[in-house]
Amino acid sequence: MHQRTTVAALTAALTTAALAGCGSSDGGGSDGPVDLTYWAWAPGMEQVVELWNEANPDIQVTVKEQAAGDDLVTRTITAAQAGEAPDLVQAEYQALPTLVSNDVLADISGELDGAEEQFAPGLWQQVTLGTDAVYALPQDSGPMMFYYREDLFAEYGLEVPTTWEEFADTARAVRDADPDTYLTTFSANDAGLFAGLAQQAGARWWTADGETWRVAIDDEATRRVAEFWGGLVAEDAVLNEPMYTPAWNQAINTGEQLAWVSAVWAPGTLSTAAPDTAGSWAMAPLPQWEEGGNATGSWGGSTTAVTNDGQHREAAVEFATWLNTDPEALAALVTEGGIYPAATAAQTGDALAGPPAFFENQPDFYARAAEIAQGTAPASWGPNVNVAYGAFNDAFAAAAESRGDFAEALATVHRATVDDMESHGFQVAE
Amino acid sequence: MTPRMTRRMTRHTKDVAEDVPRPTRRGPRRGAPYAFLAPAIVLFLLFFALPIGYAIQLSLRTVEVQGLGLGSGARREVWAGLANYTDALADPELLDGALRVAVYGLIVVPVMLGLALVFALLLDAERVRGRRAGRLLIFLPYAIPGVIAALLWGFLYLPSVSPLHRTLDALGLPEPDLLGGNALYLALANIAVWGGTGFNMIVIHTSLRAIPAELYEAARLDGCSQLQIALRVKIPLVTPSLVLTFFFSIIATLQVFSEPTTLRPLTNSVPTTWSPLMKVYQDAFGTGDIHSAAATAVIIALVTLALSFGFLRAAGARARQGEAR
Amino acid sequence: MTTARVTPQAPQAPPAPRAPRRVALLPTAALLLGALYCLVPVVWVVMAATKAGDELFSTFTLAPGTGLLTNIADLNAYRDGVYWRWMANSALYAGVGAALSCAVSALGGYALAVYRFAGREAIFGVLLTGVLMPPVILAVPQYLLLAEVDLTDHYLSVLLPVLLSPYGIYLARIYAAAAVPSDVVEAARMDGAGEWRIFRAVALPMMLPGLVTIFLFQFVAIWNNFLLPFIMLSDDEKFPMTLGLYTLLNQGSNSPALYTLVITGSLLAIVPLVALFLLIQRFWSLDLLSGAVKS
Repeated sequence: MHQRTTVAALTAALTTAALAGCGSSDGGGSDGPVDLTYWAWAPGMEQVVELWNEANPDIQVTVKEQAAGDDLVTRTITAAQAGEAPDLVQAEYQALPTLVSNDVLADISGELDGAEEQFAPGLWQQVTLGTDAVYALPQDSGPMMFYYREDLFAEYGLEVPTTWEEFADTARAVRDADPDTYLTTFSANDAGLFAGLAQQAGARWWTADGETWRVAIDDEATRRVAEFWGGLVAEDAVLNEPMYTPAWNQAINTGEQLAWVSAVWAPGTLSTAAPDTAGSWAMAPLPQWEEGGNATGSWGGSTTAVTNDGQHREAAVEFATWLNTDPEALAALVTEGGIYPAATAAQTGDALAGPPAFFENQPDFYARAAEIAQGTAPASWGPNVNVAYGAFNDAFAAAAESRGDFAEALATVHRATVDDMESHGFQVAE
Repeated sequence: MTPRMTRRMTRHTKDVAEDVPRPTRRGPRRGAPYAFLAPAIVLFLLFFALPIGYAIQLSLRTVEVQGLGLGSGARREVWAGLANYTDALADPELLDGALRVAVYGLIVVPVMLGLALVFALLLDAERVRGRRAGRLLIFLPYAIPGVIAALLWGFLYLPSVSPLHRTLDALGLPEPDLLGGNALYLALANIAVWGGTGFNMIVIHTSLRAIPAELYEAARLDGCSQLQIALRVKIPLVTPSLVLTFFFSIIATLQVFSEPTTLRPLTNSVPTTWSPLMKVYQDAFGTGDIHSAAATAVIIALVTLALSFGFLRAAGARARQGEAR
Repeated sequence: MTTARVTPQAPQAPPAPRAPRRVALLPTAALLLGALYCLVPVVWVVMAATKAGDELFSTFTLAPGTGLLTNIADLNAYRDGVYWRWMANSALYAGVGAALSCAVSALGGYALAVYRFAGREAIFGVLLTGVLMPPVILAVPQYLLLAEVDLTDHYLSVLLPVLLSPYGIYLARIYAAAAVPSDVVEAARMDGAGEWRIFRAVALPMMLPGLVTIFLFQFVAIWNNFLLPFIMLSDDEKFPMTLGLYTLLNQGSNSPALYTLVITGSLLAIVPLVALFLLIQRFWSLDLLSGAVKS
């Protein structure tokens, strides 16, 4: 082989490394446009930001597309430790306390000007963590709903359940009608779904009380939800397999599963997972624990946060405010990114006038969604949601697999969460 | 990391050097081997030794929180001593994971290396058709990117979509649940064998190609059959490669991560801490506790060190004979 | 089938040593079976890539679909063809990384196999400890250390940490020990050749088949590497393909994973690897080694 060439290349590479080490610290300078970087995963974000960049030559934003997921939180924290975090990040609501606790996010309450009234109090409280500070601006939200196969419900003679009790009866009725079919599955692979169901029942998993965190994962409301689903799994009224697998896609596509407890973004997922069923689904409010209630939880949704690393906090806040409150920006987010906006006004805006493509049969889809969203129960997150979610995945997967005791699994999750907090010196009350 | 072992090995080398009289002919310049090794040593120091040191340091520290842990300065890194290690060793999940990996390794290593050796010998044998295509196809799985592996195996393992289950169903045979119970080990081992056989086959095959053809001529003239040549000439001569593949397979098994991670989204049977390294990943990237993760990783590294060097010592005498000069 | 036709003639006198005319049935069948076993999941990728979005989850798993060209066109159009950018990045990382890594391994393996010097086994043992620490845990310290010299989110941050491959050094040592006879090195020394010249002109050609193997392994390893670029890079213009495809699968809850793009992307990503393999296969056939021994 060309040994000399490779050695030369090696030398060249190392020299470049040395040079790059000297030259690449971004000076920026005080004059000229401000450059902001923004880590986001929402598709189409580049096009939305393009609108901003055209109108604001002084503040130029560069989107760096990232993969969504829990490991992005760790990745962001590591970058912040090294002083390499971007100016702005897209972060899910439940990740905010973890990011704040690791000193990644800036308190932007001083730079903000009247954004609070644009959002529902339940969402706003999640970005303040119940304090006077503001750590992010809500971008999208995921109020939960009940999705079902309208055609098959008619075929089996089923009513849309309005309470969880009716939901259980419907699940049993489906099993009686066709032994190969289930109403739905209990999936342990996304803790966010269970957290949303617990919120609906009135759970507040973490609350700050002075200098003490009160952890109430194993509280009455959550136990009620856990035991409800545990009972259905135990009697085989609902399936116990995870969702988002090829088998799940097949089941909802062929009608072996008739319903999905999900959130407002479900049409997008259904359109890839069950492409043959366009127009056969319908959306209804989540079944209720109290008859006549209108409570729902949230699953998914994210915020735009400003980091401590950024040199241009004011510009970053200006951009984040525009992105999440300006009608033009929100309309673009809806059309380009397919998000369900957090800003209240935008939920009934023009961009959401028609139904999503998969739900042509339900023209008032978004009007109903906005109605349902008003009943969103407040969510409160703590500094180690990741730990609780990881413990949930393991404990509930095992319980679902063995059709075992869900209450015990819940106690395990609670214990793991509290133990983790105590081992790091948090004051914890239970 | 193991000063005693290193010292012993150094002493051993010196002994040999003293025993063998220095060649009277013009010997090589003394600095030459060090110069040849310089790039490797520099890279090792920068990208292995330094990060390993850093990881060890991380493993001895922990994060302590003040108050609610919100706002700047609420989180401090403090000295933890061996607390992370005692915590990790006291965690039953780590031991459970180690046991699962042991069962898994007992299936994967012999099957994968056995197949790799057989295929390598077949590729080297005469009168076997389709060797080029076989070599390419057996190596091909190594090239499938991990990002789609979960989807791929989901389609091949999940009963409602798998062609295997359709076939069994059509034949009236029972359909196994590959993703639960003990069958899970087979499902995991299959992914590893599928992905790793080609790699090891190439390592062994490359060694076979380095054997001078004269040796076969001699054996053939002695009336040895192809099989006898394979068993009596080829296998002994590729022993260094077999030791190598065995050594690295053990390490890969102890660090098994991607196969169970691939199957995790498809089933309730693979917890986030299925293997010790998954626990490391979960701690480091799931729950963001790099300190615990580093401690567990150091424990895994030490166990790997003990096992692999123990193995190397056992096989060492032979391997050294192979390259004695 | 040709193989079947040949068998009846089997009970004959043992063939002359140099006439491998008959096809060995059983070994050929075994090889075929192994190839088939390895092929089936790959066939899935090929078949899935031909399926349109609405066919992927609704048609028989191993049946072909109708959407291959549309899928490729969609992939090509996705964000102005960023896929090709990822492909080029992967080729750069894997090509340059494997070449340099191969050079480092060749130098180190040769020195360890041919010379006898103080600390030989110690250096070898220490270099090997590099494989003991799982990459998962090395990635974060590597990130923090590279951040000190402002190299994160830089091409070099993905390149530099993969240059040293303990595996490559080990392989190079074994191949050098097997392929470079000491009397040849001695003879060259007697002729007055310098150490570097002996390595380049005498040893390197003998080690070539082994080195292309190391190159191949390193190339595929870097091509498929995920964690290191995931930690190091934030600019998606610098992403390798693995990371790029991963972002397509994880776009948040609002948008569905782009399965068909990812599968088609994965299939196209195999093509360069197959091409490389076919190229490298030719080097394995060169019988440089036996020739060297005779001289």
